[in-house]
Amino acid sequence: MAAKKNKVFMSGAAIVWRRQRVLWWIFIVGLVFSHLGTHRQVEKVAGALNHSLSAAPRLFHDFDVDAIMELTEQPDAPLETFGQSFLISPFLYTIFMLFITGGILATYYRNMTMSTGEFFGASGHYFWRFFRLLIYFAIACIPIMILLGIANAIYDHLDEVSTSPLVSVHFFEAAAVVILFLVMCLRLWFDMAQVIAVADDEPRMHRALRLSAGLVWRNFGSLFWLYFRISLIGCLGFGLGLYLWMFKLKPESLTSGFLLSQIMILTWIATRLWQRASEAAWYGGHQAMESESDVVPVPAPVPVMAAPPAATPGMN
Amino acid sequence: MSGKEPLSTRVVDYRIDAKLDAEKRIITATETLTYKNLTGQPQQTFPFHLYLNAFQPQSTFMTEVRLSGTRGTGPDSGWDPKHFGSIKVSKLEVAGMGDLTDKMEFIHPDDHNADDHTVFQVSLPKAIAPEDSVTFQMSFQDQMPEVVERTGYKRDFLMAGQWFPKVGVWWKNAWNCHQFHASTEFFADFGTFDIKLTVPQNEIVGAGGDLVSTENNWDGTKTLAYHSEDVHDFSWTASPTFTDVEDSWTGSAGEVKIHVLMSPGNMASAPRYIEVLKGTLRLYDEWIGPYPYDRITVVDPPHGAGDAGGMEYPTLITADTSWNMPKGMLIPEVVVEHEFGHQYWYGMVATNEFEEAWLDEGINSYLEVKVMDELYGKNRSVMNFPFAQMAEDGEQRTSYLGSPDADPLTRYAWQFRDDGSYGGVTYGKTATVLLTLEKIIGEDKMRESLHQYFLRYRFKHPTGTDFMKTIEDVSGQDLSWYFNQAVSGTNVLDYRVEDAHSDPLKWYERDSKDNRYRTYVTIHRRGDFIFPVDVQVKFDDGYSVMEHWDGKDRWVRYEYVRPSEVASAEIDPDHKITLDRNFFNNSYTIKADARATTKLSHIWLFASEWISQLFAWVT
Repeated sequence: MAAKKNKVFMSGAAIVWRRQRVLWWIFIVGLVFSHLGTHRQVEKVAGALNHSLSAAPRLFHDFDVDAIMELTEQPDAPLETFGQSFLISPFLYTIFMLFITGGILATYYRNMTMSTGEFFGASGHYFWRFFRLLIYFAIACIPIMILLGIANAIYDHLDEVSTSPLVSVHFFEAAAVVILFLVMCLRLWFDMAQVIAVADDEPRMHRALRLSAGLVWRNFGSLFWLYFRISLIGCLGFGLGLYLWMFKLKPESLTSGFLLSQIMILTWIATRLWQRASEAAWYGGHQAMESESDVVPVPAPVPVMAAPPAATPGMN
Repeated sequence: MSGKEPLSTRVVDYRIDAKLDAEKRIITATETLTYKNLTGQPQQTFPFHLYLNAFQPQSTFMTEVRLSGTRGTGPDSGWDPKHFGSIKVSKLEVAGMGDLTDKMEFIHPDDHNADDHTVFQVSLPKAIAPEDSVTFQMSFQDQMPEVVERTGYKRDFLMAGQWFPKVGVWWKNAWNCHQFHASTEFFADFGTFDIKLTVPQNEIVGAGGDLVSTENNWDGTKTLAYHSEDVHDFSWTASPTFTDVEDSWTGSAGEVKIHVLMSPGNMASAPRYIEVLKGTLRLYDEWIGPYPYDRITVVDPPHGAGDAGGMEYPTLITADTSWNMPKGMLIPEVVVEHEFGHQYWYGMVATNEFEEAWLDEGINSYLEVKVMDELYGKNRSVMNFPFAQMAEDGEQRTSYLGSPDADPLTRYAWQFRDDGSYGGVTYGKTATVLLTLEKIIGEDKMRESLHQYFLRYRFKHPTGTDFMKTIEDVSGQDLSWYFNQAVSGTNVLDYRVEDAHSDPLKWYERDSKDNRYRTYVTIHRRGDFIFPVDVQVKFDDGYSVMEHWDGKDRWVRYEYVRPSEVASAEIDPDHKITLDRNFFNNSYTIKADARATTKLSHIWLFASEWISQLFAWVT
């Protein structure tokens, strides 16, 4: 059983690796969106900094927080980091990801190379289903938000009445673990509903959610462990990158810093796709097992895999 | 210290016997105040502060808090009955004149708010002759608020500041006894304090005086007697959960006992408090003058009582930290340094904090820069991480940049446009004005000026004029041109290089062999603050020229004919003018250097990508 779990875990990684064009495209689109979102701000600050002798010593050789504050306090406001434009690109990226998730899952589930037309065809095919799932997801988040509110109230109360600050801190840590666990379960549930929607071409999202809930409930251990392990790898990779960038790289290491930051983003996207691919592979294996059990009474010399289809050579 | 020659002119002698009801947060006390009339004229009416009455919804303090906020977070967002505080004088007698309780009346010298009960006055049946004394005997009761504006309780922690009726100051030929405002601090006369505090026996107490005796009572309480002299206030704190960390330091005036009262969870900050305290004691001793008291107590407020942190009282200061304070964040150090500095600027040089807050907060903030830079290194004395730094001088300057032109330094504290302007100008601008002044007269002269100012005015109530005159005396310079703009005015200082470019001299000749260029450099005074500046112009061949401009006109243009093109122009190349609002426009280079912009763009790009990933997670 453990070997099988591990197989899914590794096969998910293998799928992402084989279909890495998906990863690169997502990364590039995110990069372009973010570049466009921050471009105006960069242009504006360039006007204030690029011909100033003060800029490099304060912001290149060091990172003087006072210099940032000084820029924000100028009447012509050359620095307005958190302006509206800053949030537009994440919003667009989110819509983009919502759109292509169908194509990603179709690629991963079938574990085959799709043409661009097929990929976007699949994306469009599942888009409105996944949009509905997003609404369900928002509704499903409400109990967690309520729980968060309750935890916050308890935290405030403990903080108010406890002599030691650590009592509320420990409660916060425990509450964070529980809420994180619930959030992961929720995401896992919806991830599997998306896989079902693609694998079974299920048009009714409430049914996909119901099937997914049963599936996750019956196979919670293996599915959660799968999801959790990859999340952990993603977080550790991101944390390591952040540590290296903040504490180990020289302030002047522009190229290294940039590359490292992009590797962090790339790794993060890759681990998310790894989760998707593993879930798709797991579901493919699950379907195959069910097919096997369906044909048990009929002796057959060679077990037949009903799904997923075998990988085909082609564009990667 | 007792028995030595008085250091101050002792006007007041307070004897208070107080008992704390720790559960109800009530202090019940009797106060005997002997006031010596050194005003030079008969006095019949005496005003008193009742600061705790500020913590009531219709007080002037609360009205101002609603208008523009105050320090801390207490009542800003809404009235909560737990923030209610009061001080009631139930009886007032004057020796030889009988019960004058009926003669007490609330007055409102600043705003005529009849609902404000922070000042009362009493008229005596007969005047007190010059050099005579009068003794007031009062019974009063404090209801302490949950910590707000430096004072109050939090769980079992109590910080008792401004907790007793305090007589006003006869100053500039009138009584000076302002109401308590959202942004004002305090002003009082020097004298002696003999305070008895009766508290539950489990309480650990810290106070601004020498502990004279401790006596356990039959009812589970204990009575602690404190004595303090040549100070103008007395505060104390109590909590059963304090850990008293003791240390000592010896300076030119003898040994100073250090008590650091640490709250649970914060013990990791204790060595940091002690290190910065000893460093500050040493530097003040070297630079300014001796610390004459034999004690200093640092109170570490517990979590949730942050509004009690960052405050000064004579020989007792409150600090600020948290259980998870990173080493690279020097907030505990900055706060302790600043509050200790107030032992000099407020404690001994007892300026009027209501009317000239810049003299204590600003001078103290200037020395905060000097001490923190000396102890922790320039450019990283507030924040010191490999990936980000923050300097003390920069912090002071940026706090001023938020409100550079709203109020002069000399504005009465409660008349500032808002709390932001009060803080930015009183602390940040004053420190920045003095940092620039230091460059005008020289660091040695500046230090000598502060030393002389301290020697001349310790245990006195000097004014801004006294301070500025001392600097002029020591420096030997007429600095009125500077003080008029920087101290009394609201002019903003901002110079910029408007243009720097070179043009071929024989631009009209093709294939000209004359490789000379005509270079123009235009400097623009954007702000109204007139300040003489140096301008350094550098050329491609390494040649450099230094110009000096008096800055009186709005702009000046320099012209050069040289065999090379201009490389850069820079105003104030030695970075003397800290008061300049924008350092970035002080220079212009012909060749663009985009490294800083590139670094920022990488950070923004990454932040945007990361936020995108978080958003997309929901899909």
